[in-house]
Amino acid sequence: MNGNDERKTPPPDDELTRRGTSKRGSTVSVGLAVALAVVLLLIGIGGGYALEKGYGGSSTSAGSSVTITETGSTLIAPVMSLWGPNYTALHPNVAVTVGFTGSGTGISSAESGTVDIGGTDAYLTPSTAAQYNLINVPVAISAQLVFYNLPGLDQVHLHLNGTIVAMIYGGAITTWNNPLIQAANPGVNLPDQTIIPLHRSDGSGDTFMFSSFCYLSWKGWPNGYGTTVKWLASSPGYNGNGGMVSGLQNTQYGIAYIGISYETEALGYGLGYAALGDNLANANGTNPANYILPSATNISEDANLGLLNLAPPSVAVSLILGGVPGATNLQLGAGGTNPTVSDPTPYPIVNLEYLLISTHPANPSHQRYVVEFIQWILSYGNEPGKQLSAVSFLPLTPAVIGYDMEALQQVPVSS
Amino acid sequence: MSDGGIRPGAAQDGPRSRRGAVPATRDRIPPNPFSRRTLLRGLSSPVGWIPGIFLVAIVGVLLLSSHFQNFGLGFFGPAWNPNPTDPSVATYGILYFVIGSAVTAGFALVLAMLLSLAIAISLVVFLPSPASRVLTSLTDLLAGIPSVVYGIWGYVILAPYFSKQLDPALSHALGWLPGFGGSPTEYAGGTGLILAIFILTIMVVPLTTALLRESLRAIPREQVESGLALGATRWEVLRRVQIPWARRSIPSAVLLGFGRAVGETVAVFMVIGNEVKLPTSLFSGSSTMATLMVGQFDSAFEYPDLLHALVEVALLLLAISLVVNLVGLRYFGSRGIVRVGVGP
Repeated sequence: MNGNDERKTPPPDDELTRRGTSKRGSTVSVGLAVALAVVLLLIGIGGGYALEKGYGGSSTSAGSSVTITETGSTLIAPVMSLWGPNYTALHPNVAVTVGFTGSGTGISSAESGTVDIGGTDAYLTPSTAAQYNLINVPVAISAQLVFYNLPGLDQVHLHLNGTIVAMIYGGAITTWNNPLIQAANPGVNLPDQTIIPLHRSDGSGDTFMFSSFCYLSWKGWPNGYGTTVKWLASSPGYNGNGGMVSGLQNTQYGIAYIGISYETEALGYGLGYAALGDNLANANGTNPANYILPSATNISEDANLGLLNLAPPSVAVSLILGGVPGATNLQLGAGGTNPTVSDPTPYPIVNLEYLLISTHPANPSHQRYVVEFIQWILSYGNEPGKQLSAVSFLPLTPAVIGYDMEALQQVPVSS
Repeated sequence: MSDGGIRPGAAQDGPRSRRGAVPATRDRIPPNPFSRRTLLRGLSSPVGWIPGIFLVAIVGVLLLSSHFQNFGLGFFGPAWNPNPTDPSVATYGILYFVIGSAVTAGFALVLAMLLSLAIAISLVVFLPSPASRVLTSLTDLLAGIPSVVYGIWGYVILAPYFSKQLDPALSHALGWLPGFGGSPTEYAGGTGLILAIFILTIMVVPLTTALLRESLRAIPREQVESGLALGATRWEVLRRVQIPWARRSIPSAVLLGFGRAVGETVAVFMVIGNEVKLPTSLFSGSSTMATLMVGQFDSAFEYPDLLHALVEVALLLLAISLVVNLVGLRYFGSRGIVRVGVGP
């Protein structure tokens, strides 16, 4: 467009003099710009070359460096940020990059092969996993907490069960002093205020777990479960677990589902969390004994009860316990069954955290480093009371570790 | 949009070619670094094709990735329900996102135009030149701040303030006006339309101000001085000479601002509240087409229908900006856009 203008217009009569004074300046600046572009280009090429060399040469020389890339779940990312540097401290030639991007991104990036490891709270269904040549590798046990912003009640662990929570998020319960909530919390002075349910606006494994919980706990739950679902019109969305914490902090009378690795952060903001009802509590249960706090003991009871061992061979499972007394559903991955558990169940939203890795890696010699890193996570990374406890995660059960080790055998590596 | 639109250098040729001997304002015009005309002419034709090739390629790839899935008229309806468990009952209606885009961009644009007109006039006409120089570079600096910084600022600093102070006060004082009668639950978190509009306005103002300012500055000094010599007051000169002169650049400022406002994604995503509904007041949470895409895209790889719907939203957004720009070029192109700053 500029060119057109210039072509049509006759040259200004004084152009020569104007140019005479400014020519040097403009030449210098053009030269500088070109030089800068060339330098940037060279840096880019050089960096790429170095990276390539690192990948290719790593199998022969121990000194060259390897970078393992991970992205995905904001629930896994904090512990990955511990595992990565700790592993690098032991293996100085291996660096691990961690992305706080959400499970949806973790899954899609693993599928497209743009990262070595996709982190996700939601298992990949066996058919999808097979389609993209990926395997689910569970690396830790986590839980989800239901937080609320109720002034004066942050020290009280309200009793909420799956039915109540699903009805809040489904629009059937709209105020805090609803009779159902009051019945489960005798003696608690609940405010006559509208409940504001917060949801995750990004694709999220937490949304997957939470919508599964609602789906299994209340027949009237309208919109299915997945990493993204339809929410109430009055439900504001926040990005990432961190966004949910600060969003709830700003939202008086709000309620939010937040991964357990953000527990400390949320408590620091004066938010309270609920004791969630077990399967017996779901149909208007008022017995306080049926409401369970997400303590380490209560979460690991899932494992003690052997629930994890009910998982189908793919270990695609979320331990989302809903249903009605006597017929509790244990939600399994696609292809799994929903066995009936008649005993009282432990804390109801417990989940495995998954890493997705490729069984058809483009570069098997690079994949060796990825597999070794994950093996380290399963052994030293899973030591009780150490790195995992910093984010309130729990170590895997021996059965799952055994499965993992076997699954990793499927990954072709070359040394 | 051509970069000639904001380069003051383009202003020089206009009056000269049409009228011949308008007094030059060249002392303010920086030398064009690419003034070797032969070189430019040689390069311009093949280089000029590159944007066109990119555009066609982008549209082509988007069309392909949409799988040409037909969502029917419901696509422009209000029902948005990407049901992952039962795709057969999933519906993809984007009406509320279109409304969110229109409301945020529209309000932000009106506010930004009023503000930047005032800023441009004070910078050029009223402020002493050292102050004007400093403020000019400050407003220009605002344009260079990455949008995510505005988003973080809005989310961390402004949202609590809006939630606890401004929204209740506005609702209390202006509750009788339509749009301000929100209930306390609507401004509970502080995020929502009004905060998004506020942030967008601040992001658009530097762009529109720069356009209006340069067009005011391009007025030949002699015209202003002859106005004053005829006994007109400063206000009269402003109203009769300077504003009519600058008026032609208003459409291009509007177009530029609209492009920025409707396409802005991250900052809006952080402050708009991401609720999917018809806004009932300015305090309502809402979503725009751009925030829908950024929020849902990572899940979309799992749910093919959702991916196709998002890609079609992207195409719609692209089409809107193309139409806006083409209309702008068609109607204001010869004066307003190509030669910004050229007076009547």
